[in-house]
Amino acid sequence: MTEYAIDADGIELTYSDGTKAVRGIDLQVPRGEFYAFLGPNGAGKTTTIKTLATLLAPTGGEIRVNGFDAVSGSRRVRESIGYMAQETSVDEELTARENIRFACESYGVPRGERAERIDELLDLVDLADVADKRAGGFSGGMKKRLDAATALVHRPPLVFLDEPTTGLDPKARNRLWDYFRTINDAGTTIFLTTQYLEEADQLCERIGVILDGEIVASGAPAELKQRVGGEILDVDLADGDSQQAAEIARRAGLFEPGATVEVTDSGLTVTSQRARERGTDLLVELRDAGIPVTGFNVRAPTLDDVFLAITGEHVETGPSAGEATEELEVGR
Amino acid sequence: MSTPTAEETGTGESAVDRSSNSYFGEVWVNFKRWNRKAVRNPFVLVVSLVQPVIFLVLFTQVFGGVAGDALSRSGAGVSYETYLVPAIAVQVAIAAAATSGVGLVNDIENGMFEKVLVSPMSRSAVFLGKTAAELLRIAVQVGIILGLGVVLGAEVGTGLLGALGVVAVGVVFSLWFIGFSNSLAVLTKDQESTIIGANLLQFPLLFLSSAFLPLEALPGWIRTVARFNPVTYGVDAARSLMLNADAASVFSASGFGAVWNAVLPALGVLLALDLLFGGIAVAMIRRASSSKVQ
Repeated sequence: MTEYAIDADGIELTYSDGTKAVRGIDLQVPRGEFYAFLGPNGAGKTTTIKTLATLLAPTGGEIRVNGFDAVSGSRRVRESIGYMAQETSVDEELTARENIRFACESYGVPRGERAERIDELLDLVDLADVADKRAGGFSGGMKKRLDAATALVHRPPLVFLDEPTTGLDPKARNRLWDYFRTINDAGTTIFLTTQYLEEADQLCERIGVILDGEIVASGAPAELKQRVGGEILDVDLADGDSQQAAEIARRAGLFEPGATVEVTDSGLTVTSQRARERGTDLLVELRDAGIPVTGFNVRAPTLDDVFLAITGEHVETGPSAGEATEELEVGR
Repeated sequence: MSTPTAEETGTGESAVDRSSNSYFGEVWVNFKRWNRKAVRNPFVLVVSLVQPVIFLVLFTQVFGGVAGDALSRSGAGVSYETYLVPAIAVQVAIAAAATSGVGLVNDIENGMFEKVLVSPMSRSAVFLGKTAAELLRIAVQVGIILGLGVVLGAEVGTGLLGALGVVAVGVVFSLWFIGFSNSLAVLTKDQESTIIGANLLQFPLLFLSSAFLPLEALPGWIRTVARFNPVTYGVDAARSLMLNADAASVFSASGFGAVWNAVLPALGVLLALDLLFGGIAVAMIRRASSSKVQ
């Protein structure tokens, strides 16, 4: 058995119109790891995952998945991976059970094991009570869960999840996260792409930050956060005061020389080793200068801050998992 | 890339929980899926039957008398019901074949196409299974039309075997249109365009052929078009079986007996068309499912 579930060297994918979607990605994902590709829309996440899953042939580089060459051994790769596309893929005319059965048959799960496997997966994704209802009547979250179940029928040692929770409400998202943790705990390697920083932070052991088809940073979430260089002080201000407030914050002596001050839509964001310690001093100075502060917060850096520090660009963050939104359940 | 395969390097994963499917097994899995979808979605079954049934009933009632005169002038000496049923059988084959591409577009739209591609199933087995399910459905639908025709007074001159022959003609006829419909599906990747494209063709194909009246009763330009129209060959073959006579309007063979003289050349033309349109569809689907970037 090979050490790496994914071992790729210099993956390139250039479309015939010359668009370079992936530009030389090197990737080693050890067995059992929960790995995430983090990047904004159009960064090349989906193209890379499709290349790893044999749906696209690379125009350069070498890829071995579960020890098989992704081009010459594509059928063996397909037998040994689960793949969940970004768009939910279920047959809406079939029931949940029939969808999973079709996947069992597609992957050649031995006949005698199918019934048990189907029940086990229906339980895993909490769809046992609607097993014989047609998928067309399911909510978005339920369809996603069914889709996830169909990717697991053959107990693949490696599962690809392409933005698995995009478009789901926080409750549905948290449920999916639990399933992913469960299968990862059972030893399955997971390769996930996401544009939600919180998702990568919550789930993954290692993250590759991808932008314009290249990995621009990688490491454990904590390592990436250290790159930001301190804690974040967000100050909310009334309109029009931000520039003046930024000048005050940048004044020598308040924060260390490496600290950054950024004007944001709602006010200021200061990144500093001394954010917590000197934050109140800044608030006092702002009050003395006649600038009303409408709110403030000192926090640990998020991956969005990481992304900003690395690339100079913000990435979209997902809806907070704390927001309680009811998932629409099937009524038919 | 020229890296050694996993078998060569001995690094392959053997713990994957999978027994190998046979090729036939994979065809069967897909055949079952599409049959189940057809039964689940009676819309597909019913809609492609409704228009032909309306045609069958209305044409025999409204044009029966007039058409009967034209038929007796051309010396056929049969009821319009008997004359029309083969045309409606072909119409139903067209209407049902048109839904093949719609099924493909649906699969592309809802992600099942990609899901199947990422599975280890052979791609040709996937599409063979789907097409086999559609051919079964077309056979059933042509059978229904034949039954209805008999209820309305049509006669199958060659008996039960001839009726099965008409069903077979319907199936052979449908294949080229299945190819056309799937090519349209891959080309447009859009459900409405696939439906509209196939429907736009349906009426000119039917009316500019020997379907509703003998060619001699039609204007010269229609006669010319009809010679190059696949519907003429499908209808002529089915009609020869219905009438137990050579009803070929373009050309007949000789020496095989009246019915076969008409049926064999027509089947030859249809099989050539099946190969042509089927080949185009296979090439287009192969391109769409290829991992080569475009």
